[in-house]
Amino acid sequence: MLNVGQWSKPVGTYILRRLIQTVVVIGLISYMCFYLMTLMPGDPVELMIQSNPRITSEDIARLRELYNLDQPAYVRYFSWAKDIASGDLGYSRTYRVPVQELMGPRLKNTFVLSFMALLTSLLIALPFGIYSALKPGSRVDYFVNLLSFGGISIPSFWLGLILIIVFSVQLGILPAGGTETIGVDHESTWAFIKDRALYLILPVISLSVQSIGVFVRYIRSSMMEAMRNDFIRTAKAKGLSRTVVVWKHGFRNALIPLITIFALSFSGLFSGAILTETVFAYQGVGKLVYDSIMANDYNVAMISFIISVSMVLMMNLLADILYGFADPRISYT
Amino acid sequence: MSLTRTLLSVAVSLGIAMPAFAAKATNNELKIGISQEFDSLNPILSSMVASSYIRYIVNRRLTNLDSDNKWQPQIAKELPTLENGLAKIVTVDGKKKIVTNWEIKEAVKWGDGTPLTCDDIIFSRTVALSNNVSIPEREVYEQIEKIDVDPKNPKKCTFTYQKAIWNHVNQLGTFYLLPKHLEEKVFNKYKNQKEGYEKNSNYTKNPSNPGLYNGPYVVSELKLGDHITMVPNKHFYGEAPKIKRIIIKLIPNTGTLEANLRSGTVDKISVLGLTFDQAISLDKKIKTENVDFSVVFEPSAVHEHIDLNLDNPILKDIKVRKALATAIDKEQLVKSLFEGKQPASLHFITPKDPWYTDDPKSVTTYRYSKRQAAKMLDEAGWKEEKDGYRYKDGKKLSLNFMTTAGNKTREAVQVYLQNQWKQVGVEIIIKNEPGRVFFGETTKKRRFDMAMYAWVANPENNPRSTLHSGMISTEKNGWSGQNYPGFKNARMDKIIEDMEGEFNPKKRLELAAEMQKIYTDEVPVLPLYYRTDNAVIPKNMKNFRIPGHQFSETNDVERWTME
Repeated sequence: MLNVGQWSKPVGTYILRRLIQTVVVIGLISYMCFYLMTLMPGDPVELMIQSNPRITSEDIARLRELYNLDQPAYVRYFSWAKDIASGDLGYSRTYRVPVQELMGPRLKNTFVLSFMALLTSLLIALPFGIYSALKPGSRVDYFVNLLSFGGISIPSFWLGLILIIVFSVQLGILPAGGTETIGVDHESTWAFIKDRALYLILPVISLSVQSIGVFVRYIRSSMMEAMRNDFIRTAKAKGLSRTVVVWKHGFRNALIPLITIFALSFSGLFSGAILTETVFAYQGVGKLVYDSIMANDYNVAMISFIISVSMVLMMNLLADILYGFADPRISYT
Repeated sequence: MSLTRTLLSVAVSLGIAMPAFAAKATNNELKIGISQEFDSLNPILSSMVASSYIRYIVNRRLTNLDSDNKWQPQIAKELPTLENGLAKIVTVDGKKKIVTNWEIKEAVKWGDGTPLTCDDIIFSRTVALSNNVSIPEREVYEQIEKIDVDPKNPKKCTFTYQKAIWNHVNQLGTFYLLPKHLEEKVFNKYKNQKEGYEKNSNYTKNPSNPGLYNGPYVVSELKLGDHITMVPNKHFYGEAPKIKRIIIKLIPNTGTLEANLRSGTVDKISVLGLTFDQAISLDKKIKTENVDFSVVFEPSAVHEHIDLNLDNPILKDIKVRKALATAIDKEQLVKSLFEGKQPASLHFITPKDPWYTDDPKSVTTYRYSKRQAAKMLDEAGWKEEKDGYRYKDGKKLSLNFMTTAGNKTREAVQVYLQNQWKQVGVEIIIKNEPGRVFFGETTKKRRFDMAMYAWVANPENNPRSTLHSGMISTEKNGWSGQNYPGFKNARMDKIIEDMEGEFNPKKRLELAAEMQKIYTDEVPVLPLYYRTDNAVIPKNMKNFRIPGHQFSETNDVERWTME
């Protein structure tokens, strides 16, 4: 096992360096995204014209000036960046509310949904993947593989529809959609959690089935690869117990690719559930982000870009650090 | 979401989707499903259609267009007209202006019991005219030069308009009111900041304050992107609402609205719910099942049409335009694609509009005739060759036909028309684009041969923005007009200008008839059909009507009841 104390200084420098890089990358990507959005045809004023032919040319000129749409892209970007630096996330031109009020609750909901789906996927995929790898060609392996391929092949929104029809329409035991029961004052925190959990069951199943299949395949393959190494044979020859061989030598060596795939899955937590959220009328951020890009609602779209980019960069950094824990041969000096 | 719908249909046909478990709707609660997002409830700022739906549940205005297409006073005692003496035309500095006298009903109050007075009207206009408030369209507020309050009665006031306009009552249907006693403080504090007022308005910060609303209901809970709950307004001046709680639930996927209805998540689907084909399909299904719902259809003011670019060398020739119109069998189109529920249109004015006419003296109609269409094209010099298409000076009669990509109904219409025009030797190349490109670039910059989309044709609406030659969108005017065909007709311009100051309804009718004559004679646009609104309601719901115009079904919400 690697002594963390031995490499804490190089790791500290490494993290600092990566964090500085992250800030620079976020700045560059945010400008690129902003600029690309300005190149897209249409803007919030165009949308108003489409829905209201009575808008006059004077109205159009007034709104363009008010929204700074008459300014060059770089001026608008720096004005936006200045507001962000001062803690003001801006104002949604589509929904006409401050961005933090619009996105805050939805981000939380999406995080809860995606995190629960990821956790469920991992808790199911890990034992099945490892068991399959240890018993390749067995009946259980065939069965797990069959289910994995089935899971990967089923589109989550289709599964969502079937789940609604079976559990909400036919059996009437789970809500067809929503985030919580409307108009109910929960007597306790536990009652609130129970209510929210009820609304999470179907979307979580719908989201998890595909990732369970993917994770099982990755875990099985990594674990089989690790178990074929010479050091596993040596460990077995030394007379180490099966548990030690599998978990300390096999699983630990299988972790590197798994860390990569889990880190990537984590970074997609806020953006990966748009179809499921739409099918289950779940008040998440997915559709909001999509609509904000389509409607050129700059402030909302830019915040979601920043969150997505930050998540990818931070999770990659986390993965790089975790590689060191999983494999002592990796050095940060 | 068509794949979703297909999958749902497959599921239904396999017997997976079966019974309705929903309990019978009662007056205790009505849950309405909508598929479109709503924005802020600030009535002068919100621009989304779903917000209008909610706005009419919680807010009332001076005037309203009822379900019979007649203007009625809403919070006002009476409509001012020249006949009843409450409106008069005056001349100031040689300029004709109209002055109208309004009186607000005594019982009209905000939801917190504060009386609604003319001061609220003046304050609303002040906010709307602020350059730091992003109100989309403010013509209705700008047209009023000043508002004077009767010193003896704060509920009485006089509007003086910039000029004499006949449609001052209609205009006030979109003059929305703000509660001065709550909003003035916010406005005064932030009026010098860009969008400062709207960011800090009570409608944004505290939308469940009952004092913000004057309609039959007030908002008790609002979660943007999820739902809104409304309860009866204790201080409502009119008929007491029967339903104790109304919840509007956002279900963005129209494919799952039916499942939500059957599972009891919602009791009713609003006009902002099912697509037309989904409504037709549900209507058929529930007629064979013993369920407590019915689908209501009503032709609307939305006119689906094809703009012809008159700068295109082929379409410049009126004979070609007339031939294209003659080659379309519109009756068969609406019958085969819409089961006759979306009526074919003659022009841009809908049958419910007082200006509508189908009199052959006022409207040139193009009866479907392949032979006649072919003859017209021959006369225009386009001769049919061996490949079945027509050519002139070696150039093929070929046109690009564009619409919004992904709209299944429009795509089906395109294929139908492509086939009909092919039969008379016209090659149609379908070239669709996402909505934002189509509207944001293509139509605005007039980069099309034929463009299919829809306009809302409100009753007695002067089509200045779409038919006046000064409204042709060009680079010079910042692409701001909506006369996308590029139609120029001096007589049409004159009619549009005269119409604005014409107080005699009979003369207006004559002008409107002449307008329709020019429109159908010149064929700058190929009218197709009027869209139909639909809603799904509980069978025991009474007093529900779809008005089919810009003001939503919720204007009658206090009369809705379950029996």
